[in-house]
Amino acid sequence: MKRYKDLDPLLHSQLRLAVMSILISVETADFTFIREQTGATAGNLSIQIGKLKEAGYIEVTKKFRDNYPQTKCRITELGRERFNEYVSALKDYLNQR
Amino acid sequence: MENGEKIMTGEESFRLITEMINRTKVNIRNSSFHYLFWGWLILACSLAEYILWKFIGAGSHWYVWFLSIPGVFVSMIYGYRTGKKERFHTYADNIYVWTWMAFLIAAAVLFIISSGRMQFVAPLILTLAAVPTFLSGFIIKFRPLIFGGITFWIFALIARFAGNEISALTVPVAMLTGYLLPGYMLKRKVDHEKV
Repeated sequence: MKRYKDLDPLLHSQLRLAVMSILISVETADFTFIREQTGATAGNLSIQIGKLKEAGYIEVTKKFRDNYPQTKCRITELGRERFNEYVSALKDYLNQR
Repeated sequence: MENGEKIMTGEESFRLITEMINRTKVNIRNSSFHYLFWGWLILACSLAEYILWKFIGAGSHWYVWFLSIPGVFVSMIYGYRTGKKERFHTYADNIYVWTWMAFLIAAAVLFIISSGRMQFVAPLILTLAAVPTFLSGFIIKFRPLIFGGITFWIFALIARFAGNEISALTVPVAMLTGYLLPGYMLKRKVDHEKV
């Protein structure tokens, strides 16, 4: 039986969950796209992406395209597992109420 | 979204997940270019072949189809360039691209194994071209392409059984229903969504 506090704290916050929800349904997404979809500021998004990367939930690659830096994000297998666990924990929690 | 640490209720979490996933639906992008480019190219080649066969009686009228080789490069370069500019790639995008690559390879193999018996190629190519067209319609959820694929199968049957004269004209007509009409409709849809 899941309790609310059992939800992965790394995912159970607005911006990080939004980032993971975008990445779960695409193969790759670039930083600008994620920023536009989430409406977050570049600084805040960088910090949250850094936390997800540090936890091994996403991979981040940086390249140059037409002389401009391009940051691409991709969900990892671990990230996918954690996201699925989070969703099923959330379902359990909501069903219990 | 201002704060990554903002804690949500369970309902808010579900709403957020659904909303974000909905924003990354299959990207139909500029694929109309390929339908229009190939629709016109094949229509031109098939009409040129018909005219050569009908009025000049050239024995090697099917040589016009060699024009499709530079067409492959144009399509691939365009696809590569636009793909690089895309800000996200979905798994469906990959299936879409590889469905067409598989068709390309199958068509090339078919041409090679049919050399010397080119009169049988039209119904076979139409049958083959119907598959990626039909599937693309499902992948990008665009019904005119599904119908376009079905018309290819119908024209393939006509091409096989209707006699030389009509058979020769099935390919250009099939291009109108299978590529050009859905291609222009797709272009209009994409342009409309951009506004």
